[in-house]
Amino acid sequence: MGKPKLLNDDGKRLDGRALDELRPLKIAARVLNDANGSAYVHWGKNRVLAGVYGPRECIPKHNSSPYAAQIKCRYNMAPFCSLEEHGRSGPSRRSVELSKVIRETFENVIIAGAYPKTQIDIYIEILQSDGGTRCAAITAAAVALADAGIPLKDMVSAVAVGKVEGKISLDLSKEEDNFGQSDMPIAFASRNGDVLLLQMDGQLTKEEIAQGLQMARNACVKISALQAEALRTAYDGAKNGEKQLDLSI
Amino acid sequence: MDIINELKRESVKKLLEKNERLDGRALDEYRRIEVHTKVFENSEGSAHVRIGKTQVLGAVKFGIAAPFADKPDEGVLSVGAELAPLGSFMFEPGPPSPSSIELARVTDRGIRSAEIIDTKSFFLEAGKALALYLDIYVIDNDGNLFDAASLAGMAALLNTKMPKVEEGKIIPGEYTGQLPVAKKAVSCTFAKIGEKFLLDPSLDEMRGMDTRLTVSTLPDCVCAMQKGEWGALKEKEIVELIELSFKKGEELRSLI
Amino acid sequence: MSELIVPGQMISDRPTRQPSTYVEDGKTYSAVVAIKNVEGKIVPLQGPYSPVEGDFVVGVVTNVKFAGYEVALHTPYRAFLSSRELRDTFELGDIISAEIISVDEVKSMMLDNPRCLRGGMLAEFSPVKIPRLIGKKNSMLELIRGKTGCELAIGKNGYVWIGPGKTALAFSTIMKVEREAHISGLTNRIEEYLSKNGK
Repeated sequence: MGKPKLLNDDGKRLDGRALDELRPLKIAARVLNDANGSAYVHWGKNRVLAGVYGPRECIPKHNSSPYAAQIKCRYNMAPFCSLEEHGRSGPSRRSVELSKVIRETFENVIIAGAYPKTQIDIYIEILQSDGGTRCAAITAAAVALADAGIPLKDMVSAVAVGKVEGKISLDLSKEEDNFGQSDMPIAFASRNGDVLLLQMDGQLTKEEIAQGLQMARNACVKISALQAEALRTAYDGAKNGEKQLDLSI
Repeated sequence: MDIINELKRESVKKLLEKNERLDGRALDEYRRIEVHTKVFENSEGSAHVRIGKTQVLGAVKFGIAAPFADKPDEGVLSVGAELAPLGSFMFEPGPPSPSSIELARVTDRGIRSAEIIDTKSFFLEAGKALALYLDIYVIDNDGNLFDAASLAGMAALLNTKMPKVEEGKIIPGEYTGQLPVAKKAVSCTFAKIGEKFLLDPSLDEMRGMDTRLTVSTLPDCVCAMQKGEWGALKEKEIVELIELSFKKGEELRSLI
Repeated sequence: MSELIVPGQMISDRPTRQPSTYVEDGKTYSAVVAIKNVEGKIVPLQGPYSPVEGDFVVGVVTNVKFAGYEVALHTPYRAFLSSRELRDTFELGDIISAEIISVDEVKSMMLDNPRCLRGGMLAEFSPVKIPRLIGKKNSMLELIRGKTGCELAIGKNGYVWIGPGKTALAFSTIMKVEREAHISGLTNRIEEYLSKNGK
């Protein structure tokens, strides 16, 4: 398959978005019953579920710390998540790496010292993938942690920027990710704007990176408003305290 | 944890003496069941099933694979089940647990022995056939995963589109009509606690049960069974549970 | 519902000391999802139990040792009841209520003043919502006890013991309180529920 033209003549992207426009993003909190906290994110065609357990007893015991809770994270792609093929189950090198950088992202904001000798588990399932799953995963996991009542210094939201046909663009779709010139996922602490996750591939100039960071930060302000709104809705009287996943949102 | 299980068992048993259950259901009553289909765009078929607080996803993907040596003119049907660790405080990440393998195999048998999918029609050319992968994904465990899995699997199959194949390759995102499914196979699971039987046991009820029996049915015959746990069953009890499974099976079939 | 507060949201431009918050650069921020009560204190809507000296708790004896008992309190932390000064003895699986008399730096607890709770059943309840289950001046507790005939022992750790009586009704009522704890008009709805289902 050849590289498609990713920008139309009117400067719009293949899906009609402007360069600094997010794909449609829906967030729901409290969607699972057994998990202590949970969230669902539907972003473009990404569908991501996050569940949090803990603080609970640290296993194995010799890994526990008398000073703080251990944070554990598992990012996993469901075997049916991609359009192209049925995947294998079990961790790939990619998912092991993503689990690690996502864990490190949250180690910055979780007030782990409040729960010595315990562990907090963050489980992320990519039910459907469409480019930008790690950003959707982080955005979902932050809401799940808040829903679990785990003390956090700050909320976290994430988005990728990249370069498409020479232009810095926000929230790359799968095609833009595959055929674009660069991809840079970034996670921000919502309040103080600290960068908690940063990866990049492809080639960008110093100026382009600065422009991308700015674009991502602006988008994350919007994303964190949606996260807060999801929590607000979940605790609203209308839901009667029921926890249910609605995949149609 | 064993001690907490024992406490659960005692409280469930005490209520059972009065033919009561913790959630107020009759002994042969299902919790509220919801079935949503076509929940994923990337899968050829999909479903989201809720039985009470239990939530299970079923998804179908097609691939190309070599037929098995003993059935060279047939495609492959493969059922997998994952107890996603976000689905229960008891599920752990790592290689498949015996429970998840049992769930996959029982779901698989219910569908395979019902002979409702014509895997012969999956044949493409010598050494090449379509493979249907049905994945069961447990995302919230409040007991009775067997019935939730069989419903989710069946509902996904009933809504499965056939992939378009060109030059021995699947064209992603293009389809050629529906997967034919001859009949609906569903399962009913009972927990035995003391001398009493409970249909659709919740997690608390399952933690206190002695025996479990899952009966998969088609409208006119039984197509799979699985007994679990250490307890025993009497012949008469099995016959009664099968009768009840046919009756309740009709309710389940009407939902998908 | 009053305004929902999310983690990282500033709740005071001065340093204040209260649970589930933190202070940075002289300002106080919430660390949890919460609402503000009438006194301006934040009330978490969710979260784990943190042991506090003096708390009344309910637990299960999970190990009988020479010097006393290990008690499961539905927390990741250990709780020990010394048998040295006890007249009663307990068995594995006994449900007891007790008081936390000390908490060490890794939150291991020592218990005292145990009472054995016989019959009935144990329910798990969200620890942050325990005050709603007790109600103002025990009003919710009395309401449920009155309509179900069940004694209740409500541990701050989130274990609730339901004594013999209309146990199933008491259990389903308690679960309803947990689900709807943050929605106003709770007492009325629970009264209604108990009259409707309590025949």
